[in-house]
Amino acid sequence: MNGHTRGGPLAGIRVLAIAKVWAGPYTAKLLGQLGAEVLKVESTSSLDEMRAYGGLDIEHAPYFLSQNTEALSVRVNMKSAEGLARLKDMIAISDIVLDNLRPGAMAKLGLSFPEMQAIRPDIIHVSIKMYGSDGPLGQQTGYAPSFGAIGGVTGLVGHEGGLPEGMNIRFGDTSAGAAAAFAAVAALHHRERTGEGQQVDLSAVETMSSLVGDRLLEYALTGDVPRHRGNAHDALAPHGFFPCAQNGWISIVCEAERDWQALCDGLDSPALAKDPRFASLSQRLAHRGELEVDLAALTAAHEACDLGARLRAAGVAAYPAASSLDLMASDTFWSNGTYRTVLNGNGDARPVVGPSWRMAPGEADIANGAPTLGQHDDYVYRELLGLEEAEYDRLKANGAIS
Amino acid sequence: MTALSGTTIIETAERVCGEWTARLLADFGAEVIKVERPGGSPTRCFGPPLANGASAVFAYANTGKKSVVLDLETPEGRAALERLLARADALIDDHTPAWCARRALGPEDLTARFPRLVHCHITPFGQDAPADMARAFPINIAAAGGWAWHTPSESDDRDPPLMGASPFMPDFDTGYDAALATAASLFHQRRTGEGQAIDLSEVAVQLSRADVVLGRVLAGDDEPSHSRRRYDMGGPGRVFACADGHVHLIMTTARHWRGLLGLMGDPAWGQEFPEDWLEFHCTPDRVATFREHFRSWVADKPRDVITHEAHRRGVMLAPVNLAPDLFANPQYRHRGFFQALEGIDTPAAPYRMTASPARLTRPAPEPGADDREIAA
Repeated sequence: MNGHTRGGPLAGIRVLAIAKVWAGPYTAKLLGQLGAEVLKVESTSSLDEMRAYGGLDIEHAPYFLSQNTEALSVRVNMKSAEGLARLKDMIAISDIVLDNLRPGAMAKLGLSFPEMQAIRPDIIHVSIKMYGSDGPLGQQTGYAPSFGAIGGVTGLVGHEGGLPEGMNIRFGDTSAGAAAAFAAVAALHHRERTGEGQQVDLSAVETMSSLVGDRLLEYALTGDVPRHRGNAHDALAPHGFFPCAQNGWISIVCEAERDWQALCDGLDSPALAKDPRFASLSQRLAHRGELEVDLAALTAAHEACDLGARLRAAGVAAYPAASSLDLMASDTFWSNGTYRTVLNGNGDARPVVGPSWRMAPGEADIANGAPTLGQHDDYVYRELLGLEEAEYDRLKANGAIS
Repeated sequence: MTALSGTTIIETAERVCGEWTARLLADFGAEVIKVERPGGSPTRCFGPPLANGASAVFAYANTGKKSVVLDLETPEGRAALERLLARADALIDDHTPAWCARRALGPEDLTARFPRLVHCHITPFGQDAPADMARAFPINIAAAGGWAWHTPSESDDRDPPLMGASPFMPDFDTGYDAALATAASLFHQRRTGEGQAIDLSEVAVQLSRADVVLGRVLAGDDEPSHSRRRYDMGGPGRVFACADGHVHLIMTTARHWRGLLGLMGDPAWGQEFPEDWLEFHCTPDRVATFREHFRSWVADKPRDVITHEAHRRGVMLAPVNLAPDLFANPQYRHRGFFQALEGIDTPAAPYRMTASPARLTRPAPEPGADDREIAA
């Protein structure tokens, strides 16, 4: 049933994920991709919303299937006293409890951090909240774009002269999830050294701030408030996106003088190479606007992919902006394990986005996709918790397992 | 004693992604020895120069580290690095495979000489990428990973894609994954004595961050296309200008809608919208009409007053904060997100931890600041 010998650096670590939607399940996925065993707590009466997005069939929900790689689904009805009691038994055999419920929701269940410590003294509780788990604004909740707005990312993303529009609306949850996964592993180290568990209290908003920490520190050091500036770089020009044929765009950066000469060569423009306005980096920075206009005139007729290949061959850092079709069509991502095919609990094979790392010699196997609801009930209740069949049947009949 | 006390990490990185990876580990008490070329790491002059010629991004990504200057172009320098690696637990590097190969610092070289070492190699597209894709700047990573194409939401074909919030933002996302993979491998090393070669792809980090959006495209649930709006969610949410800055609204349910109508004093135009329009009748026309009304209503409202009141009513109207707002933010102060280093409030970590907190212990080092101690 389980086949949980997947290897990987976190082999032997068990994560109990009381987590829904995106940030929390993403943390669980990353830990699972490193070899941890992830028990995903679900129930018919309190589904992960991702099972309901994009259709009515909870076993074929596109968002859910795209995300819950290598998670094991166990049904627990937390509204039932007996369900809650079994959840506590699961905490007792887990290394990490991960939750991204609303602030205060765990305490309402009788699962505050001290209460979990009473069940298992060295438990690691990873709490993922928009703004952290306590404090003057700790009750505030929001969606990913709220994280970016509050955390200082949105105000720094926008075209010059336009509104600070922020990152694409999907940005935010996953970065917060990654920060939480890293902190969880730090906590495992601490426990291994000292025997001591702890609470990890992640703020998604602060995660956003950490991604712009250089801009925040710049303000602390100078008093100048950083603002959105399109794709401008203070020390490099050209640095930006340039138009290509068929609405394509290519990102081009020149750092050293040889990059600039290679760009002029690659664009077959000796005139540009000799133009005194662009004769040095400081000149190019001083004439950034004109430089961008002149370059755009030279890039516009080219296909972005062809131009990228040609400029890179000349030594220039030039890469097309990839659309979803470009990403889908990339042979590299299909062949190097960035995308991989897993087998879902529902029996279907499905391609998913894999982890950002490859490892040797200790990479974890990633073969299983998202589970069906309660697919691993038997494994958790019978094998891990050691319930007798009669008791297991009774809990299913009375709704504690539902 | 904290999570990584006693762990020694050598950092040969010369880009922000590798530096940030090692800083995340230094926050937990690892001894990070930054190996710099004569004259100092090139990252010391990345980003906007401060009045004293220093770089904010360098100062941010290098707290808590020691520095030793070694010339890896000489046999002496390489021998000194070899001695450091012999006593180290991990190495963080972000050079090209060719650079590493020339110095016998590639994954296979290191695994053969130091089987217990965890070595993390960060590259734009992974170790097996074509040679012409070995060098990329963060804006190239944002481009190749798809986020730039789809940023901002509702992008127009005529507007250039956007790199993100700064020329370095993808480096910080990369660092979280690299630190995670390294810390996990160090955990395995602690338990088994085994080392690990980690091949970390910066573009794969960007793809992983889009898992539920891109995954549906890969699986054929969602049509792949060249649309700039393929990652979008629809709905009326976006940034609006208010009296003294900007606010971001996101609204998806009838409850949000009722709350917002209340916030605006139940204007007559609101009656033209079905109660459940956000869930079931969210047409482009309605979105446009709503935005027109809301834009003019919110234009003269003070940001902090209106977002506070919105929160009270369950409306997700958030302030678009700028740097000064965050330094003054009571929640950030409560959690200690900024930690003082030589009198400068410096962004620390987004996780509070009850037993092994992330701590900023010292500012970024001068080049070679620790030459004497480390050579000894």
